[in-house]
Amino acid sequence: MSNECPILLIGGAGFLGLHLVQQFYDLTPRPRIHVFDVRPIPEKLSKQFTFDPREVIFHQGDLTSSEDVSNVLLKSKAQVVVHSASPMHGNAQNVYEHVNVKGTRNLLDVSKKFGVKAFVYTSSAGVIFNGQDIHNADETWPIPDIAMDGYNETKAIAENMVLKANSVEENFLTVALRPAGIFGPGDRQLVPGLRNVAKLGQSKFQLGDNNNLFDWTYAGNVADAHVLATQKLLNPETALKVAGEAFFITNDEPAYFWALARTVWKADGYIDENVIVLSKPVALLAGYLSEFFSKLLGKEPGLTPFRAKIVCATRYHNVTKAKELLDYEPRVNIEEGIEKTLAWMDEKI
Amino acid sequence: MVKALELLSNPVELKAALKLKYIRQPLFGPRDAVSPELTRCYQLLKATSRSFAAVIQELHPELRDAVMLFYLVLRALDTVEDDMSIEPQLKISVLRSFAEKLNSTDWSFDGNSPEEKDRIVLVEFPCILHEYHQLRPQYRRVIQDITDKMGNGMAHYILDEQFNLQGVQTVKDYDLYCHYVAGLVGEGLTHLIVEAGFGEPDIDTNPQLYESMGLFLQKTNIIRDYAEDLADGRSFWPREVWSKYAEKLPDLGDVQHRQKGVNCINELVLNALSHVIDIFTYLSSINEQTTFQFCAIPQVMAIATLALVFNNEKVLTENVKIRKGTTCELILKSRTLHGCISIFRHYVRDIKSRVPVHDPNYLKVNIQVARIEQHIEEMYQDKLPEGVKPRETIYYKKAQKRFKQDGKVLPLEQDEEYKFNMALTVLFTIVSAIYFYVK
Repeated sequence: MSNECPILLIGGAGFLGLHLVQQFYDLTPRPRIHVFDVRPIPEKLSKQFTFDPREVIFHQGDLTSSEDVSNVLLKSKAQVVVHSASPMHGNAQNVYEHVNVKGTRNLLDVSKKFGVKAFVYTSSAGVIFNGQDIHNADETWPIPDIAMDGYNETKAIAENMVLKANSVEENFLTVALRPAGIFGPGDRQLVPGLRNVAKLGQSKFQLGDNNNLFDWTYAGNVADAHVLATQKLLNPETALKVAGEAFFITNDEPAYFWALARTVWKADGYIDENVIVLSKPVALLAGYLSEFFSKLLGKEPGLTPFRAKIVCATRYHNVTKAKELLDYEPRVNIEEGIEKTLAWMDEKI
Repeated sequence: MVKALELLSNPVELKAALKLKYIRQPLFGPRDAVSPELTRCYQLLKATSRSFAAVIQELHPELRDAVMLFYLVLRALDTVEDDMSIEPQLKISVLRSFAEKLNSTDWSFDGNSPEEKDRIVLVEFPCILHEYHQLRPQYRRVIQDITDKMGNGMAHYILDEQFNLQGVQTVKDYDLYCHYVAGLVGEGLTHLIVEAGFGEPDIDTNPQLYESMGLFLQKTNIIRDYAEDLADGRSFWPREVWSKYAEKLPDLGDVQHRQKGVNCINELVLNALSHVIDIFTYLSSINEQTTFQFCAIPQVMAIATLALVFNNEKVLTENVKIRKGTTCELILKSRTLHGCISIFRHYVRDIKSRVPVHDPNYLKVNIQVARIEQHIEEMYQDKLPEGVKPRETIYYKKAQKRFKQDGKVLPLEQDEEYKFNMALTVLFTIVSAIYFYVK
C-alpha cells in the first residue's frame, strides 16, 4: 500500500474507526487516509493515538445517501473502502436497518460504480449467536434462521450482501471480518459497563458457574486484522484465497467470563472475597423480575434476561482461518489491552 | 489405621482401592523361561523402586525388559551422581564414560559409600550388562545414546559452580535442568515405544512432545519438594521466578512471607500447565494399551499433585502428597484417553476455581486453563451445530483414533464394576444372614 492507494475509512471517527486510522497511519509507506463519518474525528484524542489528525482527510456525510458517498469517492479516489460504521447495541430496530442494511447496500453499489478494488467490512462474531452456546466456532458454523436480536440480524444481512458482492470479473474484492467482544480505548460499552457494575456494588454476584468461555478482542488487534485483509486483497498472489470470505477475529485468548470481569475490577481495587453465585436459571429469573419491575417503575433495568443469557453463555471462537490466510496474530494480549483501556478511561476524555 | 480412616472417609476412593487390589487383572501375566540374570535384574528393580517395578511388570512383553534395563542403567548412573562421598573428578570420569561401559560385559563399580542404598546396582552391573546384550540392537542403541547424554549432562552440572552455589537461575535454565533430569528419560522411552511399533512416529520426531512428558513430571516434583530440597541444601525453583517474591528462597517459608510464597507456587504451577496440551497429543499417539497406561499414570498423578500444591501454603513447610485412594482412582480411570482428559479437565478447572483474584497471575492462570479447555474441545468437536463437520485437524484425528481403542477397555471396566457389585452383594447377604440368625 502507498500514497497512490488512498484508503477510505467509513465510520473512521468512531471507536474502532480511530484504531483503524492509527493502524493504517503506522504503515510504511503510509497510504493517504480519508475518513467518512457523520461527525468529525474528536478534537481531544487519547494519548495512545499517535497519528496526526491533520494528515487525515475528513468528509462528513450520511452513509445511506448515494450522493454523499459518491462525492467522497470522487474526491478521495479511494481504491480501498473499509466499512466499520455501525450503531451500538441498545438502539431501535429501524436504526440498525437503516445503517447496517441500507447504508451497506448503498456503499457497495457506489463503491463498485467508482471502481473501488477492495472492500473490507466489519461484521460481528454475533452473527452466528442466537443464545445457544458456541464452543470454539469457526467460519463453517451457520448463521441461525432466527437471530438473537436486531443488531446481529442486520449485521448478518449486511455481511451476506458484502460477500455476495465479491466479484473477480469486476475487480471488486470483498472480505468480512467478525470480531468478538471488542474493547479498548474509545470503548463506551464493555469495560466502562463492567467498571460501573463494580461501582454499584454488584461485583459480588456471579451469574452462572463461570465455566463458560468468552472471547474479547482488543480494538488495536481488530484494526490490525483489517489492515492485513486489505493487504491480502490488494496482493494478486493472495487475493483469491481471501476474497469473498468471512473471518472470525479474536485475541485468541478465550477466558472465563468472570475472570475477565474480575480482572477489570481488580485494577480498580475491587476484589470480592465472598462471591454470591446465582445459577443460570436463577439468573434468568432475576432478569425477568428485574425487567418487569423496572418497566413498572419506568426505569432502565440493570439486569435483563438478555444480559443474563449473554453472561452465562459459552461464546468462543477458533481463529485458525484468520491466522492461516490473513497471517493474523494478536499483538496486544488481553491483560495489556485492559491496562490500555483503563489508562484511556483515566484520561477522562 | 490412619490410612484406613482416610479411605473410609472417601467411599469412592475406597471402592477404587479395593478394585485395584483385588479385582483388576494385568493384561499380560508374568513370563516363563527366564534366565537367572533376568530374574536377578527384576529383583534389583524391585529393590530400588517398588512402585516403578509394579508398573514395568505390567508392560507388554516386547517392551518390558528393555524398559526395565533402561531404568536400571539410569538408576546406576544416578547412584554415582548422587553419592557425595565420591571424589568429583572420579565421578565426572565415570559419568562421562558410562555409556561406553555398556559395550563391555563385565564392568562394575565399587566406589560408592557403604551407606548408599542403591550401590548394589553398580556392584552387580555385569548382571545388567548380560541382559542388556540380549536386547535387540535398536533398543541397545537408544539406551546407550540416552545414557551418554545424561551422563554428560550430570557431569556438566557437577562442574557448574554457579548452579551448585545458587541453584537454577532463569526459566530457560529450569527447562534445561528438567530436560537433563527428565526430558531425556522421556526421549529414551519414546524411542523405545516407537521402535516397538506402539506409538505413532511423530512423537519420536517432535521433541517438544516427549520433552513435555518429562518436564511436566519433573516440574511437579520440584514444586512439591520445596521444603524437602531446602532441608537438603538444594534448590531447583528458578531465581527468575522466586526473586519476584523474596530476596532469598528460604524466606518464602517464613510466616510473614507466606502469601508471597503461595503466589510463587502459583506462578510455577502456571508454568507447568504449559505442557498439558503436548501431553494430550502424546497420549493420543500411543496405540498399545499397556504402554498407554505406563505413560498416562504418572501424568494424571502429576496433575492431581499440581492441583494439590496450587495455592497451598503447606508446600512451603512440609511434604504434601495426594491420598492413596486418589491414586487408586486415578490409575483405574486413566486407562482410557477419555478418562485422562476427564481427569485433567477436572483438576485444571479446580485450579482455575481456586486462583485468588489478588494473585498476580490471576488472568494468566485463567487463560492457560481456557487454552487447555479449548484444545480439549478441538479433540472432541462434539458440540457442533447441525450440518457442521468437524475440522480434520491432526489433534482431532489422533484423538478419535485413540477413542476407538478406548472402546476395548470399557468392557474390562464394566466387568470390574460387575464383580465389585457382586462381591458387595454377597458380603451384604452374609452379614444380613448372620444378623438374622443371631437375632
